[in-house]
Amino acid sequence: MATHITFDEARTILKKMRDEQVRDGDMVVKLWEGFLIHHSHKLADELWMVYEQVCIAALDCRRLDLAEECIEALQYKFPDSMRVKRLEGLFYEADGRYNEADKLYTEIIEKDNTNMIARKRQVAILKAQGKMAEAIQKLNEYLKKFMTDYESWMELCDLYLCEFDYSNAAFCMEEVIMSNPHNHLFHQKYAEIRYTMGGAENMELARSYFAQAVKLNPNNTRALNGVLLAATNLATAYSKGAKEKQINARYASWAEEQLTVKYKTQATDEQRKETKVLESLRKLLELSQNVGGS
Amino acid sequence: MADLLLDSNIRIWVFLPIVVITFLVGIIRHYVTILLSSDKKSDLQQVADSHALMRSRILRENGKYIPKDSFLVRKSFFNHEEKGFFNVEKREAQVKNPMTDPSMMTDMMKGNVTNVLPMIVIGGWINWAFSGFLTTKVPFPLTLRFKPMLQRGVELQSLDASWVSSASWYFLNVFGLRSMYTLILGQDNAADQTRMMQEQMSGSAMMAPPDPMKAFKAEWEALEITNHDWLLDGVEEELTGGIIQPETIYIKNKFT
Repeated sequence: MATHITFDEARTILKKMRDEQVRDGDMVVKLWEGFLIHHSHKLADELWMVYEQVCIAALDCRRLDLAEECIEALQYKFPDSMRVKRLEGLFYEADGRYNEADKLYTEIIEKDNTNMIARKRQVAILKAQGKMAEAIQKLNEYLKKFMTDYESWMELCDLYLCEFDYSNAAFCMEEVIMSNPHNHLFHQKYAEIRYTMGGAENMELARSYFAQAVKLNPNNTRALNGVLLAATNLATAYSKGAKEKQINARYASWAEEQLTVKYKTQATDEQRKETKVLESLRKLLELSQNVGGS
Repeated sequence: MADLLLDSNIRIWVFLPIVVITFLVGIIRHYVTILLSSDKKSDLQQVADSHALMRSRILRENGKYIPKDSFLVRKSFFNHEEKGFFNVEKREAQVKNPMTDPSMMTDMMKGNVTNVLPMIVIGGWINWAFSGFLTTKVPFPLTLRFKPMLQRGVELQSLDASWVSSASWYFLNVFGLRSMYTLILGQDNAADQTRMMQEQMSGSAMMAPPDPMKAFKAEWEALEITNHDWLLDGVEEELTGGIIQPETIYIKNKFT
């Protein structure tokens, strides 16, 4: 980072990071300590927003001293603010004092029971303590109230995945897909869950969703691999009838072709060796084809 | 026509006082609004309802992206005859009558007190105290149509339309000083931002429907007639450039 930024530039950078919700704690702390801290009075009303931003950044970098300073300043200005209380709770969490944090969040919810952030933090505390089952339960309760909070659906999906509860995880992922059906990563993740669940039907779904992910983003190599694997699986193990087998084999060989082209054009020699797996898959496919044909 | 000359006392005792008074009143009103503003508390039940309605709407719109079984599970969650969300949940209609609900009354009062009342009082007072002066002249010619706008209180047929009377000058100030306020009060919302910090954002400032039962009924109907048409059908064919089966291009079973 250049050492000769002016006050105004530092201020603009922070504002931009705030607006775009960039989470780069290190940068924020550096900017604050290097350029803004001695001129904080010049920020006027913006100061409080900056304090909040710096506080969260400091917690990210485990600079508890700095975070405490920010919280104190904010508390002095806004004694009853919920938003400051939340920062305090974050501080306790970073310090590992989960009980105190939890108590604080409960307080916030009692005062304003539509507060989503405090509820979500409570789930985060449970997760940090490793109590997955309780976290899942709590998040489920939360989602009964706030059904369209898709970040939470995503989180619940991950929690279920930690517990190897794939069908519930798939349900959560469906919610996330519906929230933004144009995100290829959602489709890919859903397909991966279905793929892991196994079984003919799930495998077919996995193939379709991998294909959808590739359709949305042709550069998604992982999804392309997914298409290949799912189609190969279907062709070799699950297919009923020769026709279905043939179709799946065609999908697999198409995906394989795409992958080979990708590796040839983009990968280094080192990586190209790994395409051997592809070749063996193709051989497997041909073999099954022959068996099916004969 | 001989040009009109204005007494310089008019500048000092009419023109400038009107500017200063309107400006100060604007600033005072700004702070009074901040003082009087009450933060709107939203009810948890209302928030939950609006979330449910939103989810159902998204299901209708994007349900085609998830497999049929999953769609039906969700549909029955909302619309099942006995256990469906829209059939089980009963809400009281909360159509607020502004006359009986005291909080609505105070809100309305505050709006009036801070916006309308000063306009009337100060406007009336200005009219009474400074009526009948010509205060200034706009530096360009205007048509006669502008006379009632610019020369309120001075009804002279032969007067050039570009002269501005005191009452009109007041109104010009009331409406024209907005950018001055943003300059002085800092971006207009700088004060609002601090206020937001005080209130803290409750994250879910979604508008709750006034009558949930009615909204539920409408959403129930809309969801009931929504059919599932899996969009991913044939996506592999499309991707691999194979022959796309006609039934995957056209809407299948449109009327089932």
